[in-house]
Amino acid sequence: MTPSRRATLQWMMSAAMLPLARWSPPAMAAESGAAPPFDIVADWPDTLPEPPPAKGYGRDPDLTKPVAPWPLTLSKAQRTTVDLLGDLILPADERSPGAGTLGVGAFVDEWISAPYPIQRADRAQVLGGLIWLDAQSRAMHGAAFDAITPAQRVELLDALTAAAPAAKMTAPVAFMDTLRYLFVLGFYSLPEGKADMGFIGDQPTPGDYPGPTPEALAHFAEVVDRLGLRES
Amino acid sequence: MTSGALDPAAAAADVIIVGSGAAGGMAAYSLTKAGLRCLMLEAGRDYDPQAEVNMFAPESDAPLRGAATPDKPFGYFDATVGGGWQVDGEPYTMQEGTDFRWYRSRMLGGRTNHWGRHVPRWGPYDFKPFSRDGLGVDWPIGYDDVAPFYDRVERMIGVNGGRIELENHPDSPAGCLMPPPKPRVTEMLIKAAAESLGIPVRPAHTAVLTRDMPDDVAPRSACFNATPCTRGCTIGAMFQTTTSFLPMAKATGRLTIVTDAMVSRVVMGAAGRAAGVEYVDRKTGVRHQAKARAVVLAAGTCETTRLLLNSGDGERPGGLANSSGQVGRNLTDSTGASFRAYVPALADRPRYNEDGIGGQHMYIPFWLYQQQKRGELDFARGYHFELGGRFGIPPAAALPRVWGPALKKAVRSASGATIGMTLRGEMIPNKDSYCEIDPAVKDRFGIPVLRFAFRWSQNELNQVAHGQRTAHAVFKRMNAVILDPALPPEKIITAGGEIIHELGTARMGADPRSSVVDSYGQTWDVGNLVLMDGAIFASGAHKNPTLTILALALRASERLAERFKSGAFA
Ligand SMILES: Cc1cc2nc3c(=O)[nH]c(=O)nc-3n(C[C@H](O)[C@H](O)[C@H](O)COP(=O)(O)OP(=O)(O)OC[C@H]3O[C@@H](n4cnc5c(N)ncnc54)[C@H](O)[C@@H]3O)c2cc1C
Ligand code: SF4
Repeated sequence: MTPSRRATLQWMMSAAMLPLARWSPPAMAAESGAAPPFDIVADWPDTLPEPPPAKGYGRDPDLTKPVAPWPLTLSKAQRTTVDLLGDLILPADERSPGAGTLGVGAFVDEWISAPYPIQRADRAQVLGGLIWLDAQSRAMHGAAFDAITPAQRVELLDALTAAAPAAKMTAPVAFMDTLRYLFVLGFYSLPEGKADMGFIGDQPTPGDYPGPTPEALAHFAEVVDRLGLRES
Repeated sequence: MTSGALDPAAAAADVIIVGSGAAGGMAAYSLTKAGLRCLMLEAGRDYDPQAEVNMFAPESDAPLRGAATPDKPFGYFDATVGGGWQVDGEPYTMQEGTDFRWYRSRMLGGRTNHWGRHVPRWGPYDFKPFSRDGLGVDWPIGYDDVAPFYDRVERMIGVNGGRIELENHPDSPAGCLMPPPKPRVTEMLIKAAAESLGIPVRPAHTAVLTRDMPDDVAPRSACFNATPCTRGCTIGAMFQTTTSFLPMAKATGRLTIVTDAMVSRVVMGAAGRAAGVEYVDRKTGVRHQAKARAVVLAAGTCETTRLLLNSGDGERPGGLANSSGQVGRNLTDSTGASFRAYVPALADRPRYNEDGIGGQHMYIPFWLYQQQKRGELDFARGYHFELGGRFGIPPAAALPRVWGPALKKAVRSASGATIGMTLRGEMIPNKDSYCEIDPAVKDRFGIPVLRFAFRWSQNELNQVAHGQRTAHAVFKRMNAVILDPALPPEKIITAGGEIIHELGTARMGADPRSSVVDSYGQTWDVGNLVLMDGAIFASGAHKNPTLTILALALRASERLAERFKSGAFA
C-alpha cells in the first residue's frame, strides 16, 4: 500500500473528515478454485502504453477556481466503452439517469489520467481491463464489447462480478471492482446521485442543530428494541 | 506581507514570536493586550479565510471529486496551503527502519486552519503519569495549576460540549462551554451498544461555536451546521487564529506580522541572552535579522526543536538551551487505528440532515482507570474513540459485488449504514523516538533538516489490540459486519506522526538537568527565550493536545508579560 493510500484510509472514517467515502478495495476472495466461466479466458494484457507526462495541481491551488490541469487520455473508442459500461453498471431508473448518460465517464477519464500514485494504479487496471474486455468479447463473439448483443454483455458483466472468481478471472474481476467503484464515487457525488440516495444536507441551518426527525427517532427506537439494547 | 507599526529592520520589538498557529496566535493576543510590541515571523504565506475558503462548493466541483492526493492529503478543498506530508524543497529524513510522518502547512494561522477541533481537557492523572505507573516523568505542574487557564481558553476560543462526569475527565465550571449539538442516529446507536457493555459515550468538546461570539474586531458567528470544517470557516464558527487571535492582536496596533519569513536560528547576544532571530525571506531567499528583548518559539513542536538544534555555536555544540541534552528527545505522537463496520440494522434508514457541526458530536473517553490501577490491563495509559458515521457514499467494502439495478439499490440501502470508531491513545516516551539534525541534508534555504527516529513499544501495541477488541465488541453488539481485515496491532497502528500530535522534544520539568524549560516554557539556559508549543509537554496523554497547548501558552505569555513589567528585560 502506498503511504498516501494508507494515510487516506486512516483518516477516512475519522470524525473530522468528510462523509464522502474514499476508495478502498473490497476483499478479493482468495483463490476460489471455481471453474472459469468461459471455455476461453483471454490473457490479461502484460504491457500498457506509458501515460503522457503530466503535472498535478500542486500544494497550493486556487480553491475558488478548481481545475484539473492534466490532459484526459482515454481514446474516443475507450471513452465510448466506458460510457456504455456506466449505463450498464448504474443504469437509468425512475430515480436517476444512467451514469454514462450523466457524463460520469468524463470523471473516470479525469481519474485515470491523473498523475498521482493511486490514480496511476487504477489507470493500469482500467486500461488493462478495457483491453481484456474487448479481447474476451472477440474470443467469444467475434466482435468488440461495443458491438455484441445486450445479452452477451450481461453474461460478461455477471462473470466480472463473481463473488468467488476463478484464478484466471482475478485480474478482470479486480478491474471491474475498481471501475464499479469509480462509477459509484463519480455518480453519487453529483447532485443527481445525491438526490438518488435521498441525501439531505449541504444547506445552512442556523440555530441549534435540529437532530434526527421524529421519523428517524422512531426507526432508531425500533432498532434498539430489536437489538435488545436499552434506549439511553 | 507586513502590517502594523513596526519596521523589523529598524526597530527592536519587545517580543519576537516565531509561528502564527495555536501557540503563536495565543502569544500574540495575550502579549499585545499586555502592552508589549510584538513582531510575528511566519514561514507560510499570508492567508485570508474570507477570500480563499470555498465553503459551499460540492466535491464534484473539485478535481477527482475532491479525493485525497499527495498534493492535498486531506482532500482538494482542505485548507492546508503549501504542505501536507511533504513541503516542496523542505524535506525531513529518517533513520533506517523508521516510518515517521510530519504534517506541516505553510500559511498564516498554521494548522489551526484545517485541524480536527476535538479539544478534551486533560485531567489530574495526565500531568502526573510517573506517580501513577512509574513510567516517563511527572510534569512540574498539576491539573489545578492549568485548570484556570483551561476555563479561560474555553471561553476565549469558543468550545461546545457537555458533561463527562468520569474519573480523570474533569468537567468545566459553569459558563465555560457552549451547548453541544444533539447526537446523530449513528452516535445514539453506538452509545446504546457501548453503554450496554459498560463503555461510556459522552458529548465531545469541540472548538466550534454554537452561540454567536460578538467582538468589535473579530465577531464570530454560531455554526450553521452545513459545511466541511477542514476547509476553514468564513463565519469564524470554528476556531482558527486567522479569524480570532490574529486580527484581535493586530487591532491593538502592537502586532507586526511578516509572512514568508522562515526563521533559521536564534541569534545570541551578550550575557547568554537571545538578541533576536535570523530569517530567510521565502520568496527572495534573502536573509534578515530581527532584534527583540525576548524571543518566543511557537513554530510547532518539531520545528521549534529544529530551531534550537540549529542555533548552537562553539559554546553550545549540542544546540541552544540544551545543557540537559534533552532537546529532540522524548518525541511522542498519539497512537491511532481505525475500525469500521456495516450495520444491517441501519440499512435504508429514514433520511434527515446529519451534517451537524461538522465533526463528531459524541465520543468515547477512556473509562478503565480502575481496572488499570488493579493491574488488569496489559498496557499503561489510556485511549479514546472518536466516532463517525453519516449519510453519504458508502465505502466500497460495504457494497456487494453486483452491477446494474442491484448496485443502485445497494448504494441507497448502505448509505448511512456504515460506522467508524477511530482510536487515539497515549504513547510513553522511549529512548528510540527522537529527532536530531541530519548532518548531511539541508533544505532549499540551506537550513539543516530534521532526521527522525521512531518506534512504538509493546505498551502501545497492546493498547491498540485492546482498542481493536473493544471496537469489535461494540460492532458485534449491534450485529454489524466488521469491515476491518483481521490484522495484528503492529499492522493496524498508524505510523509515528500520522496522528499529528507530535509532542515532548523540549520538555518541561522541575530540574534543569533533565528538562529544557520550566513550567512557563522559559528555557533554563537562556532567560529571555520562551517555548510555547507542544515541544514543552512532559508527556502526551491520549487527549488531543491543542487545548492544553493554548492553556500553557496563555500561562507562559502572562508570566512573560509580568517579567517585562518587573523590569527583567530592561
Ligand atoms: C488534520 C489535522 C487534524 C487535527 N486535529 C486535531 C484535533 O482534533 N485536536 C487537537 O487538539 N489537535 C488537532 N490537530 C493538531 C493541531 O493542529 C496542532 O496541535 C496545533 O495546530 C499546534 O499548534 P502550534 O502553534 O504548535 O503549531 P502550528 O499550528 O503548526 O503552527 C506553527 C506555525 O509556525 C510556522 N513555522 C514553522 N516553522 C517556522 C520557521 N522556521 N519560521 C517561522 N515560522 C515557522 C508554521 O508555518 C505554522 O504556521 C490536528 C492537526 C491536523 C493537521
Ligand atoms: S460546519 Fe460550522 S464550524 Fe464547520 S465550517 Fe461550517 S459553519 Fe464553520
